[in-house]
Amino acid sequence: MNQGRNLFRTLVLILGFAFLYIPIVSLIVYSFNSSRLVTVWGGFSTKWYGALLHNDQILNAAFLSLKIAAISATLAVVLGTLAGLVLARFGPFKGRTLLSGLTTAPLVMPEVITGLSLLLLFVTMEQIIGWPAGRGMTTIVISHITLTMAFVTVVVQSRLSQMDDSLEEAAMDLGARPHKVFFLITLPIIAPALMSGWLLAFTLSLDDLVITSFVAGPGSSTLPMVIFSKVRLGVSPDINALATILVAIVAVGVAITGIMMARQQQQRERDAQMALAANQQMIESVKKG
Amino acid sequence: MSINIRAGLLSLVVVTALVGCGKKEAAPPAAETAATPAAAAPVSTEEKVVNVYNWSDYIDPAMLEAFTKETGIKVNYDVFDSNEVLETKLLAGNTGYDVVVPSASFMERQIKAGVFRKLDRSKLTNWGNLDPEVLQRVALHDPGNEHAVNHMWGTDGIGYNEGKIKAIDPNAPVDSWQIVLDPKWAAKFKDCGISVLDAPSEMVGIALAYLGKDPNSQNEADLKAAEDLLLKIRPYIRMIHSSNYIDALANGELCLAVGWSGDVLQARDRAAEAGQGNVIKYSVPKEGTIIWFDMYAIPADAKRPDNAHAFINFMMRPEVAAKNSDFINYANGNIASFPLISETVRNDPGIYPPAEVKAKLFPDLAETPEFTRLLNRTWTRFTTGE
Repeated sequence: MNQGRNLFRTLVLILGFAFLYIPIVSLIVYSFNSSRLVTVWGGFSTKWYGALLHNDQILNAAFLSLKIAAISATLAVVLGTLAGLVLARFGPFKGRTLLSGLTTAPLVMPEVITGLSLLLLFVTMEQIIGWPAGRGMTTIVISHITLTMAFVTVVVQSRLSQMDDSLEEAAMDLGARPHKVFFLITLPIIAPALMSGWLLAFTLSLDDLVITSFVAGPGSSTLPMVIFSKVRLGVSPDINALATILVAIVAVGVAITGIMMARQQQQRERDAQMALAANQQMIESVKKG
Repeated sequence: MSINIRAGLLSLVVVTALVGCGKKEAAPPAAETAATPAAAAPVSTEEKVVNVYNWSDYIDPAMLEAFTKETGIKVNYDVFDSNEVLETKLLAGNTGYDVVVPSASFMERQIKAGVFRKLDRSKLTNWGNLDPEVLQRVALHDPGNEHAVNHMWGTDGIGYNEGKIKAIDPNAPVDSWQIVLDPKWAAKFKDCGISVLDAPSEMVGIALAYLGKDPNSQNEADLKAAEDLLLKIRPYIRMIHSSNYIDALANGELCLAVGWSGDVLQARDRAAEAGQGNVIKYSVPKEGTIIWFDMYAIPADAKRPDNAHAFINFMMRPEVAAKNSDFINYANGNIASFPLISETVRNDPGIYPPAEVKAKLFPDLAETPEFTRLLNRTWTRFTTGE
């Protein structure tokens, strides 16, 4: 019976992984396909990687997308952490419901609505205060922050509410000022949440199409826009090559964060053990004395 | 930091106050800017840049380079993925683009909304190269051809897998809408796979043409007749989509598709390249079909109208238009370029249909908002199959 259950578990695990990874694996396999048809295997070839190197439009768009994703993820983490902190720590203050509503609105709002309203906002702002002058990377970054900050806030807020308040209180007892407590105690403890928030924001920004196409301007076609526009005259397989490279970059990034987080965890456990041991020693010496 | 928060709150307040009136305010400045540049000196003082907003790969990149080389004007080529996105941006105003490429049926409404500048024919010295027939047809969308120049045009038709269709019935009427719109025929090809475009006004127009009615009729009774016809064939339709059929047709998943000429020809080429024995053909049905146009136009608030005119004028050169047609295998509206187009494109009846077929083509004109609502309801009933 136990064996049967194990078998079932393994099966579910395999199915789950297959569901998640088969599309990515097939994309990687087909990036080495010599046929122009995305769905027909025509033999092994690396020609699309060569073609990609000469496709300035795609490379520029990919570079722009990565740049936008990195900037907006970083800023979203900063703002999202602030919002999460306020919502989790500052108790019931006036306008709390409004703040939490505003920060999480983009989570539930259809992207078309967010995109359209941001477009109208930018156009009106340009007419009235002259900024942002035209649309482009700046407006895309602002819009992506609006969208991704919501996700970061939720992640950070839930991490903070799980965190033991007594640690912060202890630090303040020992005379640390609030900002010192934040940077030395709170921030390191919620760092994993910040990191996953950053990665979440990065990926969301990287593949956003709807909001981006509304708020993009001259000279700012992102990768998803180019790929979707290619539908009209045919997607060429060098997109698969690019996607494979992106998957590789993301995989390396996730692996590095994973290793770093694991190390940090180990370090923390070691510290905790040492503190516990020291505590024990102290108690014993007090008893003896 | 407190300053930041205050500034943030302030902008928030400003924003909420503005969003409401944003749309109304967008229009007048557009009209103002449209009026002033007419007084511009003959030598353009504009920055040497032109912002073009178009489909991806819709212009031969070599032609963009040639334009920059000759005029010194840098081309920023940005891409959209649907006419709807383009329309939203145009209506919001201040797009920042100098040349945009909408489809004529969308452009017709946009012209009425006043988002385009009238073309200055004195700057379009290559106007004489344009095909008078195309001009006349486009004039149904843009009276007097005042706002736009044709880039490419094509038709709606039937893409089919010759081998599979003939295997099921060698007498299948591939040259008629019957094959899709007659339930008797559609039933035969159900398992082989039929797809139609997810374009309500075009599909209803085609159904009306098949029924022998005016394809642009905005009569409720006609719409009902078209709906009844479409609902009858609904059980036999596998896919309702405007681009997925390209690959599906090419790899044999579908054997019949109502599609746009360029897309079906693309499926044909891909199928040939894949070498799986799928032979895809395109036919323009004898009952007549829709002819569509993609147009160059200049937004009313474009900042560099001179460069925009220079760009459009360059694209109107016979040799340039021919290169563009060769690059994407589409027909252009430039009669002078015809002899310069490669023979495979020029002699392809799917791209340049013969005169007797051309005579039966009809435009897909814009509908009134009221009729559009009815049309959308019909289409929802069709797509959900109820």
